Amino acid sequence: MKNIYYLLILVSLLACNKTLDFNPVRNFSDQQKSILTTFILAKDSTVIELPAGHFKFDKSLILEGKNNVIIKGQGKNKTVLSFKDQSQGAEGIRIANCKNITLRDFSIEDAAGDNIKATDTDGIIFDELIVGWTGIADSTNGAYGLYPVLCTNVIIRNCVVFGASDAGIYVGQSDTVLIENNVTYWNVAGIESENSKEVMIRNNESYENTGGILVFDLPGLTQYGENIEVYGNKVYENNTANFAPSGNMVGVTPPGTGILVLATKGVQIHDNVLRNNRTIAIGMVSYALLEAMGGEDNTGGGGSREELEKQNELDAYYDPFVGNVNVYNNSYENSYLLPNLDNDFGKLFLFKFGFSIPQIAWDGLKSPNYYLEDGSVNPDYLICVNEADDIISVNLDAENEFEGLEENPEIFNCD
Amino acid sequence: MRICLTSLLLLCFACNETKRPLESIAEPIGIDQTITDQSQYSTLGLTKLSEYNFFDGKLSDLIPSKRVISYDLNTPLFSDYAKKKRFIYLPEGLKIGYRENEILDFPIGTVLIKNFFYSSGQLQVGTAKILETRLLIRENDGWVALPYVWNHEQTEAYLEITGGKIPVTLRNKRQINYLIPDMNQCKSCHDKGSKMTPIGPSVRQLNRLSDSEKKNQLEILRDHAWIDLPSHELPKLAVWNNNKTGTLSERARAYLDINCAHCHNDEGPAKNSGLNLTVFETDSYRLGVNKKPVAAGRGSGNLKYSIVPGHPEQSILIHRMQTIEPGTMMPELGRTVPHKEGVALIKEWIKNL
Repeated sequence: MKNIYYLLILVSLLACNKTLDFNPVRNFSDQQKSILTTFILAKDSTVIELPAGHFKFDKSLILEGKNNVIIKGQGKNKTVLSFKDQSQGAEGIRIANCKNITLRDFSIEDAAGDNIKATDTDGIIFDELIVGWTGIADSTNGAYGLYPVLCTNVIIRNCVVFGASDAGIYVGQSDTVLIENNVTYWNVAGIESENSKEVMIRNNESYENTGGILVFDLPGLTQYGENIEVYGNKVYENNTANFAPSGNMVGVTPPGTGILVLATKGVQIHDNVLRNNRTIAIGMVSYALLEAMGGEDNTGGGGSREELEKQNELDAYYDPFVGNVNVYNNSYENSYLLPNLDNDFGKLFLFKFGFSIPQIAWDGLKSPNYYLEDGSVNPDYLICVNEADDIISVNLDAENEFEGLEENPEIFNCD
Repeated sequence: MRICLTSLLLLCFACNETKRPLESIAEPIGIDQTITDQSQYSTLGLTKLSEYNFFDGKLSDLIPSKRVISYDLNTPLFSDYAKKKRFIYLPEGLKIGYRENEILDFPIGTVLIKNFFYSSGQLQVGTAKILETRLLIRENDGWVALPYVWNHEQTEAYLEITGGKIPVTLRNKRQINYLIPDMNQCKSCHDKGSKMTPIGPSVRQLNRLSDSEKKNQLEILRDHAWIDLPSHELPKLAVWNNNKTGTLSERARAYLDINCAHCHNDEGPAKNSGLNLTVFETDSYRLGVNKKPVAAGRGSGNLKYSIVPGHPEQSILIHRMQTIEPGTMMPELGRTVPHKEGVALIKEWIKNL
């Protein structure tokens, strides 16, 4: 018996000692002034051709107020833009107040903040890009790899994104978004949709992040998220220690998370392959729970109820509860016996479930409007799970200190 | 059993990734003002500052010509301790429209001229040195920003759309790599509702005595028939470092208004953060009190809230004002050293919240 435990210890030691380190060979040449000039002199309908080679910049390349511009390299392995010793600006490339912009066929790495940020832009396509941070993936890396925010009509496809200390692909406060056929790894969050509407996240591969795919809604922003479909993704081995600088929302994501829905309404999760995400394959939680689970450096104010009320005061329109979520037809596999134990979720699961960890969990925190007048559950807050018989889903009943914790609860059956 | 689980826990805690030390930023190579005329920029604007005829006599004396009037702001933006000489050029026969709270309504043809320099009293060697002149030109379809870089001889400034970097040594031996923004960086700050806009010249900022004439700047403009003023009392912003002009809170808010609110307002580039630092904001949460960061990344500096009343050391706002790390520092552009005195003011304000 004892040997098994030693073995376990050994396995867990090996598992977390993996170094996420990427050190490509680079031969930089200085084209800063000429490339910067092409960005500044670009007019509507300009094609900015980036030459082949490795180029280093000490400040952001900005495209501002232009329409129908294509920024294109000579291939994602041929044109490399590096912002390694950046001394000005937070982004590598910044697109602002534009319309119909395409970025394709280049690599971009090591920006101080975000590698590519697009803001207030209608129509933006990211295609065939490699986006990342070299060296060891840690909290000194920039926050987002691809970061469209306050944008409409966004397409992110065929990109490889790694090393972000927040989210590799992050779509914030945006509308009508397609994220498909991307590969994300070694980020805190592989893909994150935050306060975004009409978002389709499909056929991506997200592995070795802290969390594979996150769908979050936060208070106090310009809009709330809804109508998000997550399907056909391969989400596996997302067990990397959370290396987000603390203070960031994503910092509370437990390592070992496959897909996590936070306080968002209207989410379809289906036909995904979820494998070896040690803590939870699919989690659905309210804003308050994540707060409460944030670990010992959480200063969010004690009990989750208290925190909830505080958030409600701050943004009267914000609904901190998760709901209208449909989870079906996903496949699950977990060869790990134990969840990641460096977070409260993992410890709770080990304590409550031992070696038989659930694949799907809802925190069970209920909105005051959870029940309708006739006693039925408000469809806005329904959580529907329709999976194979051997899949364990739980209502954690965090509302009552986990006392009413229930496996495969009847409320998940919406038929 | 329990021991095994405990050791498992310990192991998992122990094996967090080792942190990579912050890389130091390589020393940039200065261009040291060896600037020449670049004809390729001639479609954007005049390539030499002198060609605008804004100044009489020796260019570097910055003596305003007819139709050019100098002005100062009550509380200016911090730019690496550089001093500024500001002017308005207004075409003959035109008038500036009065606006109570917004930037004044400048007519088409207006040019705002802002010269950045270090005085001889600041520099370790030599006389005063003008580094750059930024023009904001009100054209038919909006404002355009053009950066002009002064030559070493201080005889001319040339349009340089890619900006530049000028090493400067101050008397206290402080080295500053003074950064001149490129043309596109300008709009990263001068952006309101996606349109280019001036930041400084509002009534509340201009409402002060002129340094040279000992007369209110707005009255000077009125006496030149450049503007009509209403008869009620005009708004006035506190001078951040003069406690006779306002309370601690008023001075701190004035400082945040000019240094942060050009992005952190409802129509500015940082509206996605939900943090609003204009002097008009009355909601303490939107001002940052106990507000969590949204997309700050490592900008949060491992802190939880923008402003923690009574605790400047726990406030992200202070952290981002103090640091000079790109991606973390605020404002994102326009400084390479912290503004010690400005930080002290905001710390004091937070301490007393």
